[in-house]
Amino acid sequence: MKRRQGWLFFIIFLLTLSIYLLINYPLQLGLDLQGGSQLTLQIIKEEGKVTRDELEAVNSVIDKRVNNLGVSESNLQTLGGDQLILELPGEQNPLVASRVLGKTALLEFRIQKEGTSKDLKTLQLQRLSIKELIEQYSFEEKNQNNDNFLKVIQDDLKDIEQELNYSSTSNDLYGMLIEIKKYVDKEITNLFIKTDLSGKDLINAGRRQEQTNSNWEVLLTFSNSGGEKFAEITKSIAGSNQLLAIILDGESISEASVGNQFASTGITGGSATISGNFSAENAKELEVQLKGGSLPLPIEIVETNTIGALLGSKNILKSLYAAISGLIFVGIFMIFNYRILGFVSVLSLVLYGFFNLALYSLIPVTLTLPGISGLILSIGMAVDANILIFERIREELYDGNTLTRSIDSGFQRANSSIVDGHITTLLSCFVLFLLGTNFVKGFAATLGIGVLISLFTSLNCSKTILRFFTTYQSLRQKYLYLPKNNFSN
Amino acid sequence: MKYNLELIKNKRKIISFSTFLILLSLLGILYSTFNTSYKKPINLGMDFVGGNELRIERVCEEECSNVSPDLVLENLREISINKNFINNIKLQFQNNNKLISIRTPYLSIEESNNLITNLDNIIGPLNYESKDSRLIGPKLGKRLLTNCVTSLLVSLFAISLYITIRFDKKYALFALLALFHDLLIVFGIFSWLGIILSVEVNTLFAVSLLTIAGYSVNDTVVIFDRIRENLKSKEEGYNETIQLSVNESFRRTTFTSITTLIPLLSIILFGSYSLFWFSLALSSGIIVGSYSSILLAPSLLLKD
Repeated sequence: MKRRQGWLFFIIFLLTLSIYLLINYPLQLGLDLQGGSQLTLQIIKEEGKVTRDELEAVNSVIDKRVNNLGVSESNLQTLGGDQLILELPGEQNPLVASRVLGKTALLEFRIQKEGTSKDLKTLQLQRLSIKELIEQYSFEEKNQNNDNFLKVIQDDLKDIEQELNYSSTSNDLYGMLIEIKKYVDKEITNLFIKTDLSGKDLINAGRRQEQTNSNWEVLLTFSNSGGEKFAEITKSIAGSNQLLAIILDGESISEASVGNQFASTGITGGSATISGNFSAENAKELEVQLKGGSLPLPIEIVETNTIGALLGSKNILKSLYAAISGLIFVGIFMIFNYRILGFVSVLSLVLYGFFNLALYSLIPVTLTLPGISGLILSIGMAVDANILIFERIREELYDGNTLTRSIDSGFQRANSSIVDGHITTLLSCFVLFLLGTNFVKGFAATLGIGVLISLFTSLNCSKTILRFFTTYQSLRQKYLYLPKNNFSN
Repeated sequence: MKYNLELIKNKRKIISFSTFLILLSLLGILYSTFNTSYKKPINLGMDFVGGNELRIERVCEEECSNVSPDLVLENLREISINKNFINNIKLQFQNNNKLISIRTPYLSIEESNNLITNLDNIIGPLNYESKDSRLIGPKLGKRLLTNCVTSLLVSLFAISLYITIRFDKKYALFALLALFHDLLIVFGIFSWLGIILSVEVNTLFAVSLLTIAGYSVNDTVVIFDRIRENLKSKEEGYNETIQLSVNESFRRTTFTSITTLIPLLSIILFGSYSLFWFSLALSSGIIVGSYSSILLAPSLLLKD
């Protein structure tokens, strides 16, 4: 008896501890419950697997970019060796994040090949007209104008294609425009030779509004060696008709000449500006990308989930209804069928609920919708163990054994079945957790934790509570344990 | 209250019934593979093929006006830059025209945002706080599918291994037979649901199959445990002992299923819509699972 009382105090202690934990360390809610966006970024590697170092490198660049973007409370984690998951809670638009994060942001400085001035001029003109066509197209589309305008754009595009001696393969007009633009960008880049100066030589980037108009420019600050390289490069082409191009991800964003006055020393001071008709937004995005450095491997955004805050709170409410009504009806069912024993199982279920939630806040487990369904489902499984035991107890009682003996052997004999059953469920949870996606992991975690805790509550807590009840003479009547109509036979 | 299931007498009926269910499932799977637009054994949802799913509510003063989905699509077609996806768009109104639900092929975040802006222009104002948008690239979809299939295979293997070590060969074989019977039937149910109601299966369906696997084996193990225990102690014949054991554990198995079904039913009734089919799959698995644990698996053990 002493030992059992020890258990009773231990259980009360655990309950108090759980409540204390839950009050002081509130549960972490997933984005489907609090609203927000989740982006899955996939690292693209043509050959071989993404190594740990590469994953770390990509992770650190993305992390810097996210921080510089100024989104609040974001959370970045790696998943499965070649994916990253970025969570943006609240009503933050994932659009900007996706634009800034998705680009490799490989910055190059290139010098124009000699004797290509004429070619470059033609290409620059073509690039300008394509840009105009794209703008025109978007404008016409938005204003629902008739097909004549589209025809004009199409004809203009055909002319450019002819000049370029290139024909596009896309089947819609917008796709064709984008394809031609890419082709022109590539042709322009090909007119320039690589130098050893790149984005790696930057130590900072900034932006400011140009004085003469409302456009923005991006400021680059080089490291010491970068500054020297920049001076060297500018010196080599100063006063010539060769241009210096700044190329971002294969697209030239600025081509500029270097004046004769820099012929002796080059441009010193370790900084440069890119002024390429940036809007405030574009300038900020480029700044963030350059500050974070270029990605060692390109990434692609393969999944985006956005949940409005209102929908999130609705989801919480719905889950709460489901959980509570589930508990109540299971409770009614148990008490109806097992009387006092049923009441004991309800008490241990309540304990079960508290222990589970306390563990979630302790580990911590982020609660998501699938997670909650795992928890609700595990209520049923937790009761399962109780039912096994109670059935055994009833059988013993029918066989005419005393209450105390029936309870003892009921718990003892149900043991092996319970452990077996739990192991198969745990196996499934374990596999789910190892191989599953983030979404599935929530379910596997709560179900797995639930199954483990239910071993403790249904075996130990139920037994202790039952023992405690049976110390009262008035609670030891057999009819309190067996429904009356069955008691007669 | 003693139960008296006449297992020995009804062995043939039980086995024919299960065979019928299995054939029905196989028929659904075959029909789905050859006679549907998606040509897959089961209607794979967005998680596996990629795409864009958007649900958003309109802000209406009292009741939301009735708008025909075709009209919305026509307007969308006129103002959208990328015409490609408009041809494959599915649009529905639910909740008295309040809730708009849209499925399209994969869109970038930018395109998806444009779509919402365009919708707002056509049938707005929209309540952005109620937005639920999912974009899944086709590459990720393929990967999720492989992941799910691998998880299923690995855990089935692990469970089989455990059962084989834990029981002797005959018990293990029949427990596993019952398990595959359950999984096949649940799969078949969703094949049919896909054919008739175009219900799609997502990652959560794979999760439910895995959970059912654990659960069904659990149920069978409990009954087989009882059979083994009784075979050691009871004097009656082999077949009678099996029948007795099943009747002894009948209450336990049905009660357990009921206490698991109750919470699932509350998710179906009160829970979020995203968990509806998941709970339904689990419920059907638990019902089929208890049937196979109580009736099928022990019947297979009976000697002729």
